[in-house]
Amino acid sequence: MQIIISNSSKQHIYEQIYEQLKTSILSNELEAGQSLPSMRQLAKDLNVSLITTKRAYEELEKTGFIYSIVGKGSFVSEQNSEMVKEAKMKGIEEQLLTAIRNSKDIGISLTELKELLTILYREEE
Amino acid sequence: MFSLVRKDLILQKSSILLLPVLCAYLAFNTSILWIGIVFSIVISLNSFSTDEKSPIHILFNSLPYTRKEIVTSKYISAFIFTAVVAIAIFIGNYFINGMIVDWKVFVLMFGIVLSVISVIFPLSYKFTSNQLLMVSLVLSGIFLVAVNFFVKNWIDQIRAFIGWLLALEGNQIYFMMAGAVFILYAGSWLLSMYIYKKKVF
Amino acid sequence: MENIIELKNVHKSFKGFDIKNFSIAVKKGFVTGFIGGNGVGKSTTIKMIMNLLQPDSGTVSVFGLNYKEHEKEIKQRIGFVYDENILYDHLSLNQMKDIVKHAYENWDDHLFNHYVELFDLPLKKKIKTFSKGMMMKASLTMALSHHAELIIMDEPTSGLDPIFRRELLEILHQLMQDGDKTIFFSTHITTDLDMIADYITFIHNGEHIFTKDLIEIEEEYAIVKGGLELLDREIEQEFLAVRKSNYGFEALTANKGRAEEVFGDMVIMEKPTLEDIMYYTKKGAEQHV
Repeated sequence: MQIIISNSSKQHIYEQIYEQLKTSILSNELEAGQSLPSMRQLAKDLNVSLITTKRAYEELEKTGFIYSIVGKGSFVSEQNSEMVKEAKMKGIEEQLLTAIRNSKDIGISLTELKELLTILYREEE
Repeated sequence: MFSLVRKDLILQKSSILLLPVLCAYLAFNTSILWIGIVFSIVISLNSFSTDEKSPIHILFNSLPYTRKEIVTSKYISAFIFTAVVAIAIFIGNYFINGMIVDWKVFVLMFGIVLSVISVIFPLSYKFTSNQLLMVSLVLSGIFLVAVNFFVKNWIDQIRAFIGWLLALEGNQIYFMMAGAVFILYAGSWLLSMYIYKKKVF
Repeated sequence: MENIIELKNVHKSFKGFDIKNFSIAVKKGFVTGFIGGNGVGKSTTIKMIMNLLQPDSGTVSVFGLNYKEHEKEIKQRIGFVYDENILYDHLSLNQMKDIVKHAYENWDDHLFNHYVELFDLPLKKKIKTFSKGMMMKASLTMALSHHAELIIMDEPTSGLDPIFRRELLEILHQLMQDGDKTIFFSTHITTDLDMIADYITFIHNGEHIFTKDLIEIEEEYAIVKGGLELLDREIEQEFLAVRKSNYGFEALTANKGRAEEVFGDMVIMEKPTLEDIMYYTKKGAEQHV
């Protein structure tokens, strides 16, 4: 598991931790039931304040990616496939939107873009 | 609190090394009473002034001691220093001069030392040593002028008075004197605690 | 959440300086940074927390206990570091330890030796030969060697080089692995706080301006930069303070959402540093007088 924090990013540090842990969970790098480092340990390792890691864990818990057991720590939740799929779909949409915007900028039509997409999709198979 | 007394004793280790010097004085047959008084007061005041700079008070007041304990420990330490000097004189005199010192000398010595400390400690808690030095210089100047003006041969008179005290047969007077000094010492202790309680660091 | 230190409606007057109606609460298990300029009451507040000074009115409680009845009990559980040397400088660290250790029930020689080694401190040299950094390390060693639950530090990083400041933060992080420990420290080097502080308590001219967690501060405050034509009297009132130049304005808002609504894309919004917040708050206090 990797967490890299940028101090100059516009995103809050807790959001960066949240996003990166979420990615690790969605990609199955962190498996269901696996325990996460304690908030205090993570704060020390990342050299950030405790309240930052605490907030990141709280958000992950709220969105169902992890659960906590008092006195034992935090663990990765069982990811139901619906949720995983939904999260991934959202990612795809965002990437496609970027592609569409870039296409419009240089005047590529929808038909042309579709063609390009079809070619690339087939090549990957 | 006794760790505070312990601290005073440890810090005055070097003064205690002065005790052999004291024995040397005994060998020259100087007044025992005078030596005892000077040594006790010097050691006690030295112990007090070691702690005078205020950062050290910040330390002791931040450690788990109460202000009452800090003041009390100083009074106990001063008493112990006087006792140590008395014991050193007793032993030194016994071996050097082969004489046992009259207990009345010790009562007188304790009486004078503790009375002086009773006056100095509360003043030192209230004022800085610079202020005290100035005031005491001025006062002793006035005192000397006044005494020389009004009383002829005052040093001889004091000597005569002490000689008279020591020659007194009635033990009762000594007990009364000891009692009075203890009341003074205790009063001074209470006053110092009151002053120290209001001190700002 | 449990409060380790509580000051309620504390007043303290000095010649020409007052602490006014000051109330703060320091939370257990977290690091609270105490910020403010020079001479605004930081040291006075810390002295009141340590019972070196008593407030004229109001109450101070530590671990839920008052000093009147529980002074020794409270101080057994506090480790302290001040910005001046409070050790006997004619003694060595070893001799000083011998004096301090007898004050504490929970003194731990192993822990003491651990920090002495970690900080590379000489045990036999006189403390007066110590550099400012070594002095601070010596004080810190004393503060950490009796299993204190609360560490109080007055300007621990002032006068220290950046490398040691970084090391100190690591030690504090290590200390905070134990969830029962609480750290309260004053500083005006605010960059230290981003890496360790959970809560920030801000004092200005003897008044408590706010206590917020770092995330709240990021969410609420923003530096707004834009052209002068955007400003009018009414809009200026919305900022804590505004700094104008011939080329534009820069201002601090405590209501980021509102500023976004008002200005939209016409301005640049940046995350303020704690220094920005201190600077503009002081400026604001002066402007509104």
